[in-house]
Amino acid sequence: MNFFKRGLLSVTRRLGKSFILLAVLFILGNVIAGAISISQATSNVEKNIKERLGTAATVELDYEQIEELDESELMEIDFSSVGTDLIKQIGELPYVKYYDYNATDYLPSEDMERYEGTAGEVDFGDDMIHFEIKGVNYASILDFEEGKANLIDGRVFNDDEITNGSPVTIISKNLAEANHLQVGDTFNLLNQVYDYDEETGEESITDSRDVPLEIIGLFEPTTVNTEQNNDDDFHDFMDGEYQNTLYVPNEMIFQESQFAYGLDDDLSMDDMYLSPIFVLNNAEDAEAFEQETLPLLPQYYIVHHATDTYENIAGPIESMSTLAKYVLIVAVITTILIIGLVVLLFLRDRKHELGIYLSLGESRLRVVGQIMTEVIIISIIGMTLSLFTGNLLAQTVSSSMIESNSSQEEDFYSYTELDPQVSSTDVIDAYEVSLSGEFVLFFYVVGMLTILLSTLIPLIYIVRLNPKKIMM
Amino acid sequence: MILEAKDLNYYYQDGESRRFILKDTNVSFEKGKFYTILGQSGSGKTTLLSLLSAMDKPHTGEVLFNGQNLEAIGHETYRRNKIGIIFQSYNLIPTFTAVENVLIAMSITQNELPNEHKTVAYNLLDYIGISRDKADRTVNKLSGGEQQRVAIARALSTNVELILADEPTGNLDEEMEKEIIDIFMNLAHEHNKCIVMVTHSNDIAQQSDQTFYLKKGVLHNHE
Repeated sequence: MNFFKRGLLSVTRRLGKSFILLAVLFILGNVIAGAISISQATSNVEKNIKERLGTAATVELDYEQIEELDESELMEIDFSSVGTDLIKQIGELPYVKYYDYNATDYLPSEDMERYEGTAGEVDFGDDMIHFEIKGVNYASILDFEEGKANLIDGRVFNDDEITNGSPVTIISKNLAEANHLQVGDTFNLLNQVYDYDEETGEESITDSRDVPLEIIGLFEPTTVNTEQNNDDDFHDFMDGEYQNTLYVPNEMIFQESQFAYGLDDDLSMDDMYLSPIFVLNNAEDAEAFEQETLPLLPQYYIVHHATDTYENIAGPIESMSTLAKYVLIVAVITTILIIGLVVLLFLRDRKHELGIYLSLGESRLRVVGQIMTEVIIISIIGMTLSLFTGNLLAQTVSSSMIESNSSQEEDFYSYTELDPQVSSTDVIDAYEVSLSGEFVLFFYVVGMLTILLSTLIPLIYIVRLNPKKIMM
Repeated sequence: MILEAKDLNYYYQDGESRRFILKDTNVSFEKGKFYTILGQSGSGKTTLLSLLSAMDKPHTGEVLFNGQNLEAIGHETYRRNKIGIIFQSYNLIPTFTAVENVLIAMSITQNELPNEHKTVAYNLLDYIGISRDKADRTVNKLSGGEQQRVAIARALSTNVELILADEPTGNLDEEMEKEIIDIFMNLAHEHNKCIVMVTHSNDIAQQSDQTFYLKKGVLHNHE
């Protein structure tokens, strides 16, 4: 009958005490399992949302820093965008999978209908409907590569069209259908030159020209209203805006800007406001990319990652994650103390038995082994039971916490150059407490380490036992 | 000579003075004999037994088992493989059955034992007067005499030559006491064991092969 079998028999022969230890372990196990469940669920949300936010990054002015400047310092800042040379230099960094920079303009059309979608009619204040034309330099179109939309008909740009600023465009399928257009058709936008009379404050059109655009491709957004977003006005609005966006080469926008603003011929693309987008190879490269990019940037420029948005939208989840971490730490410390003291108390009751083993010549290590066996057997049962109930507890607690947090907070929508279109609602929807393999493994590792630590005090007691004092 | 104590001194330090429990004790024991150490309460009998059983260390002097110092053998190893100890209060584990108590000792020792531990344990208990039925009972359901028999069986189960007993009949009635002493005599004379028993009973001492008398920490040969 080795020490393992003795331990096993002791557990079954002292059912009352085994049950007390089991009950304590079960209660504490629930707290630990609940905290781990919530912690894992929140980190899964972070992973999930950050994946959805993508690995894109941009460089932009640090508005927080600028707000703190006084007027004289503000006058000295060059607010122009970073030039194409710098964008290309950053784009050549090894962390960048591909990059693009976008010029944007809004041009009206006399005969084009706007796709209204589910957002309803947009009031432009005059008869002319304006369309957003989004310039690209990356011929395959980064939005398509990143899964924001799919090309469903026609083709993307070629290098010549990008370089020459050819009058070609890719529009949404819905916009095409709204105007009975298809690939190969041409439609006109209008580029008007305005003059502003400073005395009267009136605006007059001094010149205008048609901008004929040939449709070379049709796209369909992949983020078109999902069922869960049907009642979400923001999503509807953003979707409507995107469906009315026309992709064109950057150079074409530059040429139209030259006409509209009477720009000199020696001005270049760099004089326009360009929004650069860098898609990184993977999320882990973000920090290294930022470290290498920052020294290249002009003053007051910072690197902004799509995942930075997470901090703004994940309020309820983040607070729950923090709380869960504190609960876990407190629960582990409490378990170590309580189990340690309970086991010690039980061992004091069994001092005589331990003395018998030692008087028979049993090594202290094996006596320790027997006690460890007993505690571990009960722990495994207690932990296995609390694994399920703790998980259920976490589901209930976190649901009510999310409900109460989300009702107190304004829903935050992100809308940046990176355009991730992820809201607080998406974050809460992504939150799910589940009984995953990862959770089970982590729970048992944390649980067993806690139990082993909690047996340290009782072990010291055994090591210090003097069989003579007990037995004689 | 199976066991020998040489110049044993054991004392309690009280400031600068020492209160001796055992003083310059020299004694030796042989196999095949039943020894008793006689003395009144507080005479140092139990201390002497604790030194002979390596439950404690003498301040000076040494204990030799088959000529080898107990320090060299190792106290745990000595208790595990060389001796069997029987206590006045039996010291059995109450949650285990009689046979399980015997099996525990058999699993702890490193001495060579027959493979069928359980059969040996039952046979040993039977030899000592514990039936199969009683052997399967938890020990707290046995009488004092039966429990002491189980303790004797446990001491014998590890196949040792030396049995140390600390007033093993102290809690038993006269009839049971006689039976236990008969077992010890038999073990010494028939099975060539060395039995060293501490007692304060003159009657028991008279039945042993040799008696030592311990008075105020000094050991004398009893006439």
